[in-house]
Amino acid sequence: MAMLPEAVMVALDVMLAVLLLVMALACLVDRCLWRACRNFVCFAVLMALTWWQLGSPLLAVVEAVLGAMLTGLSLFFALGIDAHHRLPRRDTLPGSPPSGLKSWLLPLAWLVMATTASLLLLVDDAGTSFSEALMVLDLPTIVGLVIIGLGLWAFTRHRHLLRRLLAFNVLGSGVFLVLAGVTGPRIEAQALILAGLIVALLGSLLGASLIRRLFLLDGRLALGSGPGGAE
Amino acid sequence: MNDLAALGDEALKLTPSLWAAVWLVLGGPLLLGLVALYWPPRRMLTVVAAYLPVMAATGWLIVTVAASGPRHASLALGELTLTWYLDGLATLLMLLTQTVLLASAVFAVGYCRAAELPSRPAAWLWPLLGGLSSGLTLIWIAADLLSLYVGLELMGLCAVALMLLPGEADALAAGMRYLLYALVGSLAWLLGVSLLLGAWGRLDLAGLAAVAEPGTVTTIAVALLSAGLLLKASIFPLHAWLAPVHGAAWIPVSAVHAALVIKASFVILLKLWLLLVPGQVVAAWGLGGLGSLAVLWGGLLAWRASGLKALVAYSTVGQLGYLMLAFPLLIGTSDAVATLAWRGTWLHLAGHALAKAAMFMAVGSLVLATGRSKLSELAGTSRRLPLPLLTFGLAAVTLMGLPPSAGFTAKWLLLQAAMQGQQWIWILVLVLGTMLTAAYLFRMFRHSFDEQAPPLTYRRLPPGMDLVPLLLALAALALGLVADLPLNFLSAQGASS
Amino acid sequence: MSGAVFPIATLASSLLVAALIFLLPERAWWARTSLNLGASLIKLGLVGWMVWGLHRGLDYAVEFPVVAGVSFVLRADALGIMFAGLSSLLWLFTTLYAIGYLEDSPNRKRFFGFFSLCVASTLGISLAGNLFTFLIFYEMLTLSTYPLVVHRGTPKALAAGAVYLRYTLSGGLALLLGVVALHVIAGDIHFGEREVLADLGAEWHPLLVSIFVLMILGLGVKTALVPLHGWLPKAMVAPAPVSALLHAVAVVKAGAFGIVRLVYDVYGIELSYQLGLMHGLVAIAAVTIIYGSLRALAQQELKARLAFSTVSQVSYIVLGVGLFGPLATVAALSHLLHQGLMKVTLFFCAGNYAEELGIHRIDELDGAGWRMPLTSFAFTVGALGMIGLPPTVGFISKWYLGVGSIEAGMPWLLAVLVTSSLLNAAYFLPILHRLWFRVGPAHGYGDWPDERRLGRMETSGWLLWPTLATAAFSLLAGLLASMPFSPLEWAARVASQEYVL
Repeated sequence: MAMLPEAVMVALDVMLAVLLLVMALACLVDRCLWRACRNFVCFAVLMALTWWQLGSPLLAVVEAVLGAMLTGLSLFFALGIDAHHRLPRRDTLPGSPPSGLKSWLLPLAWLVMATTASLLLLVDDAGTSFSEALMVLDLPTIVGLVIIGLGLWAFTRHRHLLRRLLAFNVLGSGVFLVLAGVTGPRIEAQALILAGLIVALLGSLLGASLIRRLFLLDGRLALGSGPGGAE
Repeated sequence: MNDLAALGDEALKLTPSLWAAVWLVLGGPLLLGLVALYWPPRRMLTVVAAYLPVMAATGWLIVTVAASGPRHASLALGELTLTWYLDGLATLLMLLTQTVLLASAVFAVGYCRAAELPSRPAAWLWPLLGGLSSGLTLIWIAADLLSLYVGLELMGLCAVALMLLPGEADALAAGMRYLLYALVGSLAWLLGVSLLLGAWGRLDLAGLAAVAEPGTVTTIAVALLSAGLLLKASIFPLHAWLAPVHGAAWIPVSAVHAALVIKASFVILLKLWLLLVPGQVVAAWGLGGLGSLAVLWGGLLAWRASGLKALVAYSTVGQLGYLMLAFPLLIGTSDAVATLAWRGTWLHLAGHALAKAAMFMAVGSLVLATGRSKLSELAGTSRRLPLPLLTFGLAAVTLMGLPPSAGFTAKWLLLQAAMQGQQWIWILVLVLGTMLTAAYLFRMFRHSFDEQAPPLTYRRLPPGMDLVPLLLALAALALGLVADLPLNFLSAQGASS
Repeated sequence: MSGAVFPIATLASSLLVAALIFLLPERAWWARTSLNLGASLIKLGLVGWMVWGLHRGLDYAVEFPVVAGVSFVLRADALGIMFAGLSSLLWLFTTLYAIGYLEDSPNRKRFFGFFSLCVASTLGISLAGNLFTFLIFYEMLTLSTYPLVVHRGTPKALAAGAVYLRYTLSGGLALLLGVVALHVIAGDIHFGEREVLADLGAEWHPLLVSIFVLMILGLGVKTALVPLHGWLPKAMVAPAPVSALLHAVAVVKAGAFGIVRLVYDVYGIELSYQLGLMHGLVAIAAVTIIYGSLRALAQQELKARLAFSTVSQVSYIVLGVGLFGPLATVAALSHLLHQGLMKVTLFFCAGNYAEELGIHRIDELDGAGWRMPLTSFAFTVGALGMIGLPPTVGFISKWYLGVGSIEAGMPWLLAVLVTSSLLNAAYFLPILHRLWFRVGPAHGYGDWPDERRLGRMETSGWLLWPTLATAAFSLLAGLLASMPFSPLEWAARVASQEYVL
């Protein structure tokens, strides 16, 4: 790796970042659940590559095993890929109306977070303008912030439980990226991300089994009462 | 007063035997739970006997801390160092946790049998309760954000899993909602932590309190941390998930959840605010305002609730509101006021934990014994004065803040703090809250004293199921009269720092 | 330290009994009855011993801190022991009466359990040594009387219970706020430490006045001062022994006793007079006395008439407190006991008429004196006492009140007293007339509403003997008023303590 010229490295970084964003988007907007899950696995693999690129092989391995493999498996389990009663292939539920409490609360929180991150870097040098500050932000942080935005949007907009679970996972990856970007290579940051990955996996496992059971019990696919999950 | 600020001083280290005790309290319940997964306890006494070492270790820790002051503990994992801190507050919270957990576990033995729970999910109750206990204990003693995170998540995931055990669709949906909220809440927490770590380069609370300057970054980081915690503590307006979750869960689980789990988030919130943003008076008043709304709204919801469990669950929303009054009374006030508020808050927390656990268990027994779950269907229950009704009444005394009870003494202290600090608005909140609480709790008696209803058929329950909640409720009453002892222990460290 | 044992033992005697009764099964009649009677005798003995001890100058007190700066204090002083004596004496008789009254009715275990708790609260109120402790038992009293009020479980009883709670809990809150506010200003004031508030500067006086008003609002609810009396007539749905207890010792007296404590032992008479609080009290009391009597006149139900009579009579105590001067104090304190003895008798009689003959309305009483002579004799004693005819106890109270009002320079109050006595006569004499001088079923005209023949005598002995005993006590208290340890003598002793300082 070290032998590669600087320009190639940068190009690789940028390519990886773009791929991450594309995959995240593909995972979040696809109404075909099977494809969305597959896209998530790809996204997780890309995340593992990113960790490698950022110089933490441990996290790369953990992300590959926990994020890509086990989370992927649990998602497919929720879909019921090998069972009789599969979830419907497509999410046909309408998105939640944009007027609900959650739908403005979370994006608002996102705005706060975005400004925080940029402000954080502005603190060192009070004279820098906002655009300059944006330039100082490193690539993982920017990608992370965008992914957080995407994840939050999807989490509030979607009502299908599986898609919300996907959104949570993507959101989590974004947060980890910001965490790594903001704090730099610190042992504490790695420990936090490690703990976060484990929590995300456990949460996904629980969520996946819940989605499966809920569907089996009365065909519910979203929160709220009634089989269709009408709120 | 605020002994948290003294975290960094040269407190004593833990001796090896104390380490053993800490590990016993941390891991003991989890181990016991795993054992019980394969050999579920059949008798209540078995649970008590098995739990004795844990209780003994907790007692020993309290005695040691009382005798020789707070202790530091550093746990090195490679290059990573975790800091734990045992002071009066932490050890008392440990005792409270273990007491409520033990009571719930004992109650659960009878409950599993009486409610004829399916054996496989019922067996999972034990390890998950154990995990909950470990998570809670870790939260009480954690003095760095990483330990707190681990504790919080361990507790949260175990809590969700416990909610899922009933396996009914409503329980599962409620659990799913809780899970999604909790997970997003923990991401907000993680983001806040990352900002703090990026800005100040450390995670231990004492260090952060020393180096963190009040500024935009700290403020926003704390805001993020708070958002996650407020959600988990089901503070108004983020309380919507609480009642459905409790409505569906098993009784011992609801008891532990309302008594301890949501309190954990509050405790962390309070610690973080006092250490990181001790000057944010306006925001503290904002939190106090949220608490007031919670008191009123939770009270109204409970007043309108038709189900027994829903009534108790909404009452939790209201009672947590009282706790939130700690923020405006502690932040930016004089020492005297802060001392009163500090004591009142912890007393209220402990009293509510004991009483709410007792009340949930009493409600569970009533529902099991009569087979009815609506208030209006309980008409005439007092004819036989089933012990659960008495327990409900005793717990209600604490919740209403009537004497003699921990709730009353706590309300007295909070009122005194509000008057001394001349924050009149909280007095109004306390008064209205008390009246609302009385209004919704006495609905229960109004129905149960009705003598003209057709008699219900009763099922006999194991006597332990009546005894355990009764003891908890009595403890909540007694705590109000002997509050001086634990409260002095709380602030003894504050005086020494 | 032996002085600490007695107050605790007195309190514990009824608390333990309550717990034990809750544990006993419903059927255990003998165990419950002997527990009840044993405990009330023991308690009477303990209180009697403390009276004797106080006479010899001993001190009975126990104190421990609840939270920093607030203590739980039990202390038997002359004033407190007076009220304690009344409640333990009347508890014995009411218990006896209740055992007979509730014969064969359901929920007796619940009834007697809360009955004991109620008496424990009353004792706590009388022995409380500071406002915090007083408040604890004051609220406990609210809680323990609620199950007694709704005991019948009818919609009417439940509605009355709700009204009762609304009034008393709000009153309790007002009292709580006042107590906390006093605490913030002056710390933990033990009863009798009058100098604490008196030493505060004049700049505190407006605040002290508002706190006083707040606390009177709180205490006035239980005292049934107009316009806070609305719960009392409604609470009449409760069984007769409960009404007797509520009206004679427990609830209304707790409020009146609280006012006595507040004025004499917290603010002090001097300070209250300086602050102009006494005039307010006198005005409210005068209005309540007249209003209660007028309303009583309009009632056609026996218990309702007695209830409004209570509203009026308890305010004599408040009136006496509000008048500056030792004689008025003597009147207030002795009336605290006198009214209890008379009112408990009257309610017992009302219960007897209802149980034996099914009589609830006054116009059904025609000739009942010849069917139930002993009960009617007791009723006559109580009623004449209420009117204030010599040599009954009521006369003593009114006499001292009248002299006291002249001493305090308010002779116009005599008019109030006379009017009230005339009204008392107007609503009690017709009853006596009906009892003795009208012909009715006893003479062979018509039937009693619901005659039951409960015993070999005119009614069951459980119901009759307590009634006669309380009637005898109220007669004796009047005849032997100048003997040592009579209510009057003891009230004079307390008053001399108040005015020495």
